[in-house]
Amino acid sequence: MSEPPKHILLVEDDPHLSAGLAENLRAEGFSVDMLSDGQRAVDYFGESTADLIVLDVMLPSMDGFTVCRTLRERGTNTPVLFLTARGDPADRIRGLEAGGDDYLSKPFHLQEFLLRVRAIVRRWTWYQKSSEAPHSATLRFAGNEVDFRAFRARSWNGVEQELTEKEAMILKVLAERPGEIVSREDLLERVWGYDVFPSTRTVDNFILRLRKRFERDPANPQHFLTVWGVGYRFLMDGQA
Amino acid sequence: MKAARVFQLTALLLVFVSVVQVGWWVFDQHSRANDKVRQDRELYSQQAAAGRALMEAGVPAERIKAMLPNLAVSGTAVVLAPGILSSLEQEQRKRLYQYLWEGGFFLLALCVCIGVIAMALRAEARVVKEQDNFLALVSHQFKTPLASLQLSLETMALRALSPEQARTLIDRMLSDLARMEAMVSQILESARLERGQVDLKREPVRLATAVARVVSQLEERASSDRISISTQIPESVEVLADPLAVDVAVRNILENAISAVAPVGGGTIAVASRCSAREVELAVRDSGVGFRPSDRTRLFQKFTRLHAGGGSSYTGTGLGLFIVKGLMQRAGGRVSAHSEGLGQGAEFVLVWPLAGEPT
Repeated sequence: MSEPPKHILLVEDDPHLSAGLAENLRAEGFSVDMLSDGQRAVDYFGESTADLIVLDVMLPSMDGFTVCRTLRERGTNTPVLFLTARGDPADRIRGLEAGGDDYLSKPFHLQEFLLRVRAIVRRWTWYQKSSEAPHSATLRFAGNEVDFRAFRARSWNGVEQELTEKEAMILKVLAERPGEIVSREDLLERVWGYDVFPSTRTVDNFILRLRKRFERDPANPQHFLTVWGVGYRFLMDGQA
Repeated sequence: MKAARVFQLTALLLVFVSVVQVGWWVFDQHSRANDKVRQDRELYSQQAAAGRALMEAGVPAERIKAMLPNLAVSGTAVVLAPGILSSLEQEQRKRLYQYLWEGGFFLLALCVCIGVIAMALRAEARVVKEQDNFLALVSHQFKTPLASLQLSLETMALRALSPEQARTLIDRMLSDLARMEAMVSQILESARLERGQVDLKREPVRLATAVARVVSQLEERASSDRISISTQIPESVEVLADPLAVDVAVRNILENAISAVAPVGGGTIAVASRCSAREVELAVRDSGVGFRPSDRTRLFQKFTRLHAGGGSSYTGTGLGLFIVKGLMQRAGGRVSAHSEGLGQGAEFVLVWPLAGEPT
């Protein structure tokens, strides 16, 4: 039985660009819904879902950053690829801070756009599939309990945690290979893709966040261990 | 920003030092005037004592008066002449007031100079900021049709297209080029307007014909955005204006209306004329996003874009209404805008001198 096509929501107010992108995405086998308004993009997720949102930044009624932030606040973790004429680093960082997954400046190459779309959809599909089965949907270690499907967790001290999409994905990659060393580059490739961030420091920051959430003493981690010069090792039962 | 802070601190320091200097100056002059008065008083009392001694020595009163003119001799009494002390005090007050006025004027002149320099610097900073905004905005506006153009070309290179699909892409590319060309024209037009290099004719222009021509060119875009445009202009109404300027003004106002109605999912644009004894009003009323009444004057300034969410990337350069205002003023007409608020639609009114009588 063949899989249904991956669904993309395209939010772009320029009719030519929107039509051109939709045609190319459909030619690649995706199903596409098109919107030209920020507020409607937020409303869309009240009734529908998507595997990816391609989101312009300058939109009527609500800008793309606000759309993304609002969706994240409402618990929609669908990946977002920002598409905008504003390509300076400050805007790029704003987009990623708002919860975006990738950022492409106009004008862009069609092949690169399609490559990025495929990469994000692939990562998202992997995450969803690997969280489908009941045994892989939940991770329990040292009194912590993580629900990968709901992006929620309860830490050892009973505190309820809301996980970001990236935190959940890092946790997923590490939990798939307990006890093994996972390199920073591997994490970057599996969770973000190839060139979104300029350095592997980003991974380090996310690991620090995970330690704060799940370690009893984040300064002396027992589960998220640094392997100097290589990457990280995740231990379910803690360091012996 | 840093330069502005340095200027503010320098100006503040200068004013402070000047106030201290002027204060010291007034105090010093006041002290000197007091010393002088005190010395004069001592001198007068010595003269009075000398006058009395001379009187006791038997010197005639006339002689004493000739020697010491500040003294009044009456019988055997020798006193200071009346008015001497009060004139001394008057002189002291006069000098004090003079120093206070001069010092105050000096400080006022200094503050005015600093104010003028600050205003000039602020105006210069505003121009620089406007230029930066302009560059950012223009580059942003060009990037969208450029991206569309590149996408169409790369789609043609990547995929095997049917003749119909290829035709669609070619039409799209031509339209993108037309958008960029229109933007270049607007930018040049606004630059010419600002330098006063626009010579407008004044001849009778049939308004209904001019509006119909623009409407027919915009109708396709309007209907694709589910916007209906209705016009109600008597055929015989003629305005005294430049035909090209009328075309540019009406086009900009109508394009603006379409951009305002499209985001709300379609609506109506009603164009109607009203004639008075000497003028013709062309009112363009739309059911679009509207604007806050407080933004009414800002609308006609350069690079103003009021759309929520930073503005739609499909709309213009932020120069359209600025051009309309400039053209209307040079043509002896005017333009105004009115809206009850966001989501309430808007009405733009163009006014020209009347050239022909309505039927």
